[in-house]
Amino acid sequence: MSTEHEFHLMQLSDSFFPSGMFSMSGGLESLVNAKKVTNWKDVQNFILEQIEFQIFPCDCMVLSIAMEGVKNNDLQTVVDIDKKYYSMKLPKEIRNSTTRSGKQVLNSIIHMTNSDSSFLQKFNKKIKSNETPGTYPIILAMGAVCFNIPRKSITRMLLYSFSSSVVSAAIRLGLIQHLDAQKILNNLAEPINKIISQNQQTDIQNIWQLSPLTEIYQMNHQYHDGKMFIT
Amino acid sequence: MMGRCLSHKVGFQMESQKINIPKLGIGGPVGSGKTRLIEVLVPVLKNRGIRCGIISNDVISKEDAQRMQRTLATESKLMPEDLIIGLATGGCPHTAVREDPSINLAVIEEMQQKDPSLDLIIIESGGDNVMTTFSPALADYFIYIIDVSGGDKYPRKGGLGIQTCDLLVINKIDLAPHVGASLDVMEHDAKKIREGKPYQFLNCKTGEGIEKVADYIINDLLFDKELVKNTSKLSR
Repeated sequence: MSTEHEFHLMQLSDSFFPSGMFSMSGGLESLVNAKKVTNWKDVQNFILEQIEFQIFPCDCMVLSIAMEGVKNNDLQTVVDIDKKYYSMKLPKEIRNSTTRSGKQVLNSIIHMTNSDSSFLQKFNKKIKSNETPGTYPIILAMGAVCFNIPRKSITRMLLYSFSSSVVSAAIRLGLIQHLDAQKILNNLAEPINKIISQNQQTDIQNIWQLSPLTEIYQMNHQYHDGKMFIT
Repeated sequence: MMGRCLSHKVGFQMESQKINIPKLGIGGPVGSGKTRLIEVLVPVLKNRGIRCGIISNDVISKEDAQRMQRTLATESKLMPEDLIIGLATGGCPHTAVREDPSINLAVIEEMQQKDPSLDLIIIESGGDNVMTTFSPALADYFIYIIDVSGGDKYPRKGGLGIQTCDLLVINKIDLAPHVGASLDVMEHDAKKIREGKPYQFLNCKTGEGIEKVADYIINDLLFDKELVKNTSKLSR
């Protein structure tokens, strides 16, 4: 396997990459305020549950399907999966943040590659005319195809970025210390690698997510007065 | 600075032919009067025919945005409530306006789409004098605001915000005698450290100096000399 994509993989996964991820806690802030998450073990369990019941079966699946669509130049499939993903995210803040990030990451990819790729331009046009929402995993799939990043690597990156942003939020919320953060990320490596090694479904009908309690807390977040994070 | 703003705006328009409403960044330490500055500035601009949208980056709440929704929309009906948007910054206001302005840029695009007839978008963000500066992709013109209660040494200390902003505003001048701050010292140091770039003393409570702040914005950002009332560049 070529390793030429690795630099771009690091670039996309870097917290310095402008995706707005630093302002999101993925629902952690609400759970911390409700005292449902109180220590580093709770943070680790929260991330694992989110990966198992939301991010992998939904976000990662969508990412895979979108990658196939982009590779096949199948704009309609990519638009369909974008709409499906958007409709599955019930908390308004999550829908807003995924589309805001998605659009800005697309701008970055177009800018940094000087891309005149007709697919990227056509998709961008559809976002601007409100024909498709432009969610983050869909745009990430486009980046992966642009930089020849393999599906498993970009999936791992998505899971790592999610974990890293939640852990970072936990530090800023005063819940854990910097060394705990690295311990959590280290502990997550094995389960994340295990989940990625599963055969991934790439059928739009098989996308699912189920974490109702977290979703309720994520929905309540928008009504909180004092909050540090967008989600 | 006018040259930078103009070329930036023209270049941007030529590149994409999209709506590009001029954007004003207002930064400053917590408690320096950023929100109050906007509350007294918006009516002055409105009187001169300039319609604004506002994005407020807050460190830990949407209190500033909610306050402006009340004072500028509900109570005084100067603008619609949905043109005042509060953004949480994950505790990183500097990042949100400089290193990764993506969420602010996304909200600006939404605002421009919602009301393309706006004349100005104001982006507020808290931040210390050492690190705060706006990405040129986010703000065409940058006001940094400090207040006298931080001590008359504040301008002399410099920092990115104080030195690089397009206009330095020194607020709460009525408090100077009560906190032992010398406006003469602040003026002398501001002149020296800013190497000729403008500064403006302000009292948001009485409105003293606010017309001149509006003049700077109109003259140096909006380039509409007909709307400039006070052509004097005197800072006091």
